[in-house]
Amino acid sequence: MNLSLKSKLFFLILNLFFFSNANCESYVKAGESLIWDSENKSYTANGEVEFKNEKFIAFADKMIAKYIEENNDEIFTIIELFDNVVIEFKQETFKGDYAIYTRDDNIIRLTGNVSIESPTRILTGNELIADIDNNKRILNSANEESLVEVLLENNAND
Amino acid sequence: MINNLTKRTRNIFIIFILGLQCLIYFFNQKPLTDNYIQKSITVENFSSIVLSKSGITKIGSEKLNKIDENNIYLEGKSYLENKEYKIYGKNISIDLSKEISNSDEYVEVINRMGLLKAQGFKNLDYNGKIFFKGEIEFVIEK
Repeated sequence: MNLSLKSKLFFLILNLFFFSNANCESYVKAGESLIWDSENKSYTANGEVEFKNEKFIAFADKMIAKYIEENNDEIFTIIELFDNVVIEFKQETFKGDYAIYTRDDNIIRLTGNVSIESPTRILTGNELIADIDNNKRILNSANEESLVEVLLENNAND
Repeated sequence: MINNLTKRTRNIFIIFILGLQCLIYFFNQKPLTDNYIQKSITVENFSSIVLSKSGITKIGSEKLNKIDENNIYLEGKSYLENKEYKIYGKNISIDLSKEISNSDEYVEVINRMGLLKAQGFKNLDYNGKIFFKGEIEFVIEK
């Protein structure tokens, strides 16, 4: 009985380990091509591009990712996504024609036919600034007068 | 008198023959050398070092085929390794003068970012660009 319980616990821990590893895995997938330019320190992916990091998962037709070398490692600093951009972040989905993510400030900026979709609402506009660290979204329309600033609930309670 | 003449004729004949042999030897040299250069060289379980713009690159394969002075073909399982990357693939062509290597076979690349899998590649070493073809998966290590 004890042995059975121990083996169950062992497999549970093993599963949890693999599940957590699979969930935090970062990757780039491309359907057509990928160019690694080591002189300009960038990767350009083309065709049904999928990018995942610890923050979000993004889909687009094209992606240019710039990186820096730090402690003998290469780290993405700027991710640019072109055409049919879809970014899934927790329960929200951002859509647009173009997006740029900067790692330093953890901000995603989307432009062109932008929408932000959550389980309770859909908002559309021309530009979206999603501040991930501060849980803040700023949605601008083509007409500068109409601007929607959304402070998400968990942050609003602080 | 007749003996002397015969001796002289014989000597002239011998010198003529020797001269002819020298001519045959001399004119035979060139075609032989040409044939030798055109011949392709094959080496099994080969590994070597190539010096290019990106530094020293170690190359190796199950079979190396030397096509000509500038082109080699790494047949079977092959690799290219330097301080920037490790490319493991199959049937890789290398142009040493243009510093280009390419393959249309499945390839795995390990670099400082992670592990990349693609269906082929073209490495323009002279300008530090590698083009990967087909479906690509690049798993980034933390």
